[in-house]
Amino acid sequence: MIFDDLRAIQLRYGFLPKPELESLSQRTQTPLYQIHGVASFYPHFHLVPPPKADVRICADMSCHLNGAAELRSDLERAFSSTSAQDVQIRDVSCLGRCDLAPAFCLNDQIFPSAIAAGAEDLIRAAVRGESLHEPHPAPARVSCASDPYSDGEQYGAVRKLAAGKDWDGALAEMKAAELRGMGGAGFPTSMKWSLVRAQSGSDKYVVCNADESEPGTIKDRFIMTHLPHLVIEGMMLAGFITGAKKGIVYIRHEYHAQEEILGAEIRRCYQAKLLGKNILGSGLDFDLEIFVSPGGYICGEETALLEAIEGKRAEPRNKPPFPVQAGLWQKPTVLNNVETFANVPQILARGVDWYIAQGQGGSRGLKFVGVSGHAARPGIYEVPMGCAMREVIFDFAGGMRGGRQLKAFAPSGPSSGYLPASMVDVRLDFKALADAGSMLGSGAIVVCDDTTCMLDMALNAVRFYRNESCGKCVPCRVGSQKMVDLLARWTRGPLPESQYRSDLALLDELSQAMALTSICGLGQIVPAPIQSVLKHFRAEVDAHVLQGKCPSGICFTASRAGEANRVGIRP
Amino acid sequence: MSATPTPPGLIDITIDGQPIRVPANTSVFDAARMHGISIPTLCHLQNEIPVGVCRLCVVDTGARVLTASCVRPVEAGMKVVTNSEKVLSARKTLLELLMADHPSPCARQQHSGDCELESLARAAEIAQPRFAKRTVARGLDDSSLAIAVDHDACILCDRCIRGCDEVKNNFVLGRMGRGYAAGIAFGLNSPMGDSACISCGECMVSCPTGALTNKIVVGASIVAGPDAQGFEAEDLLRLPIFKGVSGTFLELNRGAIVKRTYKPGEIICREGDFGSTAFYILEGSAQVSISSPIAHVKTAGGAKGLFKRLTSSLAPREDDARDDEARDRTIPIDASVDLSYDNPVAELGPGDLFGEMTCMNFYPRSATVRAASHVVAYEMLRNVLDIMMKNKTFRAQVDGNYRRRALESHLRGVPMFADLAPDFIDHLKNSVELQRYAPGQIVARQGDPADSFYLVRIGFVKISENYPGGELVLAYLSRGDYFGEIGLLGGGTRTADCTALDHVELVRISGDDFRQMVDRFPSVRRGLETVAEERRAQNQQRMQTVHNVPIDQFLSQGLMEAQSLLILDLQNCTRCDACVNACADAHDGVTRLVREGLRFDQYLVATSCRQCRDPLCMVGCPVGAIRRRNSLEVIIEDWCIGCGLCANNCPYGNINLHPFEITVDDLEHPGRKKAAIKQKATSCDLCTYLKEPSCVYACPHDAAHRVDPRTFFAEMLGQGQGSQK
Repeated sequence: MIFDDLRAIQLRYGFLPKPELESLSQRTQTPLYQIHGVASFYPHFHLVPPPKADVRICADMSCHLNGAAELRSDLERAFSSTSAQDVQIRDVSCLGRCDLAPAFCLNDQIFPSAIAAGAEDLIRAAVRGESLHEPHPAPARVSCASDPYSDGEQYGAVRKLAAGKDWDGALAEMKAAELRGMGGAGFPTSMKWSLVRAQSGSDKYVVCNADESEPGTIKDRFIMTHLPHLVIEGMMLAGFITGAKKGIVYIRHEYHAQEEILGAEIRRCYQAKLLGKNILGSGLDFDLEIFVSPGGYICGEETALLEAIEGKRAEPRNKPPFPVQAGLWQKPTVLNNVETFANVPQILARGVDWYIAQGQGGSRGLKFVGVSGHAARPGIYEVPMGCAMREVIFDFAGGMRGGRQLKAFAPSGPSSGYLPASMVDVRLDFKALADAGSMLGSGAIVVCDDTTCMLDMALNAVRFYRNESCGKCVPCRVGSQKMVDLLARWTRGPLPESQYRSDLALLDELSQAMALTSICGLGQIVPAPIQSVLKHFRAEVDAHVLQGKCPSGICFTASRAGEANRVGIRP
Repeated sequence: MSATPTPPGLIDITIDGQPIRVPANTSVFDAARMHGISIPTLCHLQNEIPVGVCRLCVVDTGARVLTASCVRPVEAGMKVVTNSEKVLSARKTLLELLMADHPSPCARQQHSGDCELESLARAAEIAQPRFAKRTVARGLDDSSLAIAVDHDACILCDRCIRGCDEVKNNFVLGRMGRGYAAGIAFGLNSPMGDSACISCGECMVSCPTGALTNKIVVGASIVAGPDAQGFEAEDLLRLPIFKGVSGTFLELNRGAIVKRTYKPGEIICREGDFGSTAFYILEGSAQVSISSPIAHVKTAGGAKGLFKRLTSSLAPREDDARDDEARDRTIPIDASVDLSYDNPVAELGPGDLFGEMTCMNFYPRSATVRAASHVVAYEMLRNVLDIMMKNKTFRAQVDGNYRRRALESHLRGVPMFADLAPDFIDHLKNSVELQRYAPGQIVARQGDPADSFYLVRIGFVKISENYPGGELVLAYLSRGDYFGEIGLLGGGTRTADCTALDHVELVRISGDDFRQMVDRFPSVRRGLETVAEERRAQNQQRMQTVHNVPIDQFLSQGLMEAQSLLILDLQNCTRCDACVNACADAHDGVTRLVREGLRFDQYLVATSCRQCRDPLCMVGCPVGAIRRRNSLEVIIEDWCIGCGLCANNCPYGNINLHPFEITVDDLEHPGRKKAAIKQKATSCDLCTYLKEPSCVYACPHDAAHRVDPRTFFAEMLGQGQGSQK
């Protein structure tokens, strides 16, 4: 496995020296270009020796709203006279610590809620060669309404299904519950599983997408920490129902703690004969392993994720065929989000009626959402599907920090675009949010108070997509950069009205082309944040471009100069 | 829609309202093409598996988004629209995006006006892209001899990658990086010329833009004479040596190779001539020889003082043995054979390649080649030679010839290898590895583990050490020279940097073979140890000197390079030129001293050989005749062919060509002799046959001195004590 080989080399040398890659190529009969292709694709690998302190500050959405840019300039000032062999300070894409913003990563260890003074001490310690320890406070035991086994034997749904083997019945229950994918796309889960089940042959896979990387998305981190047994049980159920014998949890490499928790739970299951051959004497087999992602937002795209497991560059595939027909190693594959898998045992253990009763206003089940940004109590909340966004933001997350006014919110990270405070009564529901021109997505609610500049937020989002584009197709690779260029120009000073008008027309053409022709969701969604800001906050954008004024006093300042072209990924 | 029911295996769809029936699994792109509907594309080629990355071939199938028609199989009842406003506008935006970063007109557009991107952009009426241009250039790669790479013109269509992998199975090329920073890379992102690329040209003929183009070789095409035949690419492709090469690529290189026929006795190339081509013999045999007399310039007759005229003559080493003269019995030349010192004539036949050094590195011809029978040969420029040399079949043949015919004499040329048993030489013939290096490529780095021993087969290798303030060149090694023994015998690490100066080919003997050889033949070990010890001592002494003299100006004038300088004290000198005349008198009227040069303090450093630390004169000698003595002074060996390259290379103008009238075989009239002027290179010999250099002896004002710069200038440099003055 190429990533294991590369990791072993990196562990030994701190980076990937050329002679080692050459001998790896000889040993494994892998062409050099393939090795270089993946090593230069994933942010996890270093092709040159890293500095003693490799500082990467999360630059996205929630961290951006919580002073990441200021943290970066403070640290840059503090280490301005330090050599590049000792300290390098760069941006990094969302680290999945949005509730503890701003976060920064030092030599692959993640430190949340960073303050400049504390970060400085850590960096100096790293330069001195001291070993660092990522903080892992033991998670407090949280009881979740979603857990059907909070006071009883776990894996009840698996036991029942292994004994009864009523696959069609289980699928019917899922269908009746109207369970839909929780990763963003909302595809009916029972239909996906039925399609895989209908494929002939026994070489099939169940893959769990635990690579949540959309800025603001932290719910899967919570689910894996507190409900790992539901995720594993959901995958087992998928294996039983579809006939797949092998499952893989694809987890982002920044989730060290969750990787351990899931690993421990998997070992427990093997010991309890819940995984492996002849599970509980049923004659059914299912094996489960964890695959640690070498990094990158694009790996969350389902086919890019499959490419990564196959040891290739994580470039999304052209569809059709879909993973249900030709997924991992071109075999039929069930690919679902962590939360989707965790929902299945809830339905099968407690029944459809219970599941339906959990939702509000016709929506079904419970939903984990992350609330971050300017929220008074940022965190992960378990809320009824269909409840009003107002309830989530104000009742659960305590409203705006410092008693400020809500200005805008993103229902699901940059991809959902921004909705104005006036729309805060929209319900947390697939259809309701789609009707509002947004989406339920992955439940990454990011709230902005009245000090926020919305053009700045749109530029921040496009920059994220530009940094995370895999580069496979033209519209996303080139278009995302050109959109950054265009918006950055808007934040740099007044333009003649004729220029603004033609820029707007150009932006629309570009948005159209990207949405219509990009291979995957990443490229298609790039225009969403700026289009939503133009729709709901047009006056603010006009003030920037026509008068050269940022009503929030954020753009046109020295600390933001040049930020647009800072690339988080390795140069 | 067709009124008849669809037969099994076929599928009915409509494209732009036109009913179309095609076999299942046909792509929408092909279905359209088969029915005369053309869809634009940049990344799709008929002979490659479609990847759908440029997105220009998008069509509307009624779905939420458009679909790339090259990767989309037809489905029953599909209604495809290829030309709606929505589709056309999206395509135009994509072209405009690409054009914003395109260096228009790119190399392809300039050469042949057929850049596919620029043609499509013109058709879509995109004059000035409205998007911002790329701010950071991605750069050019000029390292391949045959193909120019302009990363800025690359649109990442993956056509070259598929050409290299799928079509030719060479697996050299791929994507690297990601997002806007993504690009194509050869191997581990090496320069193309240093990668495993075999110059088959497939990537270049697959490229839609000017990112990969055929390099126009300087000097364009070979002058075709009446004896030269041009021919079609198909003729060349039939030759095994061009197996795997793209036909289009050969077509583009047509002018760079000609087939020539020679009558018996006709000269194919002449020693000392400059050239840029190599020859590959197809039929017949040719004789290779050196017609310059094998001897050096000897000056004598002045024993009784200056009143008797001195004369210079040519003397072979049997008659006039000099210190540190080579004892080799073979003369390295630019072919797969070596010539004997005693009788410098050899035979070349079909399958032999000669003139590689001249072709790759533009050195003068090392020998004269004459057709011995009716000869048919290909003459080629270096881009074609490069293609041939990268072809595995041809490469194996050339390597085989070398192993069979020249390797033994090269091994025997290393003095301490003289005792190797024939069976061991045979073993080495099979086990050595032949390696190619591009100019500037590092063979071994100081401090690296030493794991092999090298013989130089073609080109020049610079051996250098780094010291504060610069690089110290220990030696330039050419054909027949060797290196790597110090590291293997010593601490197991390289003691110096070894860098290819030009296109270099090395014979690598593995550390295991080397150790086996040293264990089995004690004389080899003793010999090597002596040499290694000498080299170490010399190097150390040089380093010591360098450390002691940190004066920038002194160094920058090259004075520090010198072992021995002729200096004129300008306070005493009356510019009478007696020194110059004395030198001329001592050397047949050809002075080796010019009273001009650098000034340092009150001294003029006259132009005469400084026996430099970085002896540039040694780089390029086609026969390896100029080299150092152990004392570092320059010596010109007997087989100098008088080409004059060393004289050109000397930055101080200190090497002269001394003409002699001799009789040679008249090549036009076999059997007869004729008078000819031949030249031999000479440099200041310090008048070693006299008590003191003539110039110093002749100076009436005590202004000329021959000195060691380090001790002489020591005081001025604030070091040491006193001077030799």
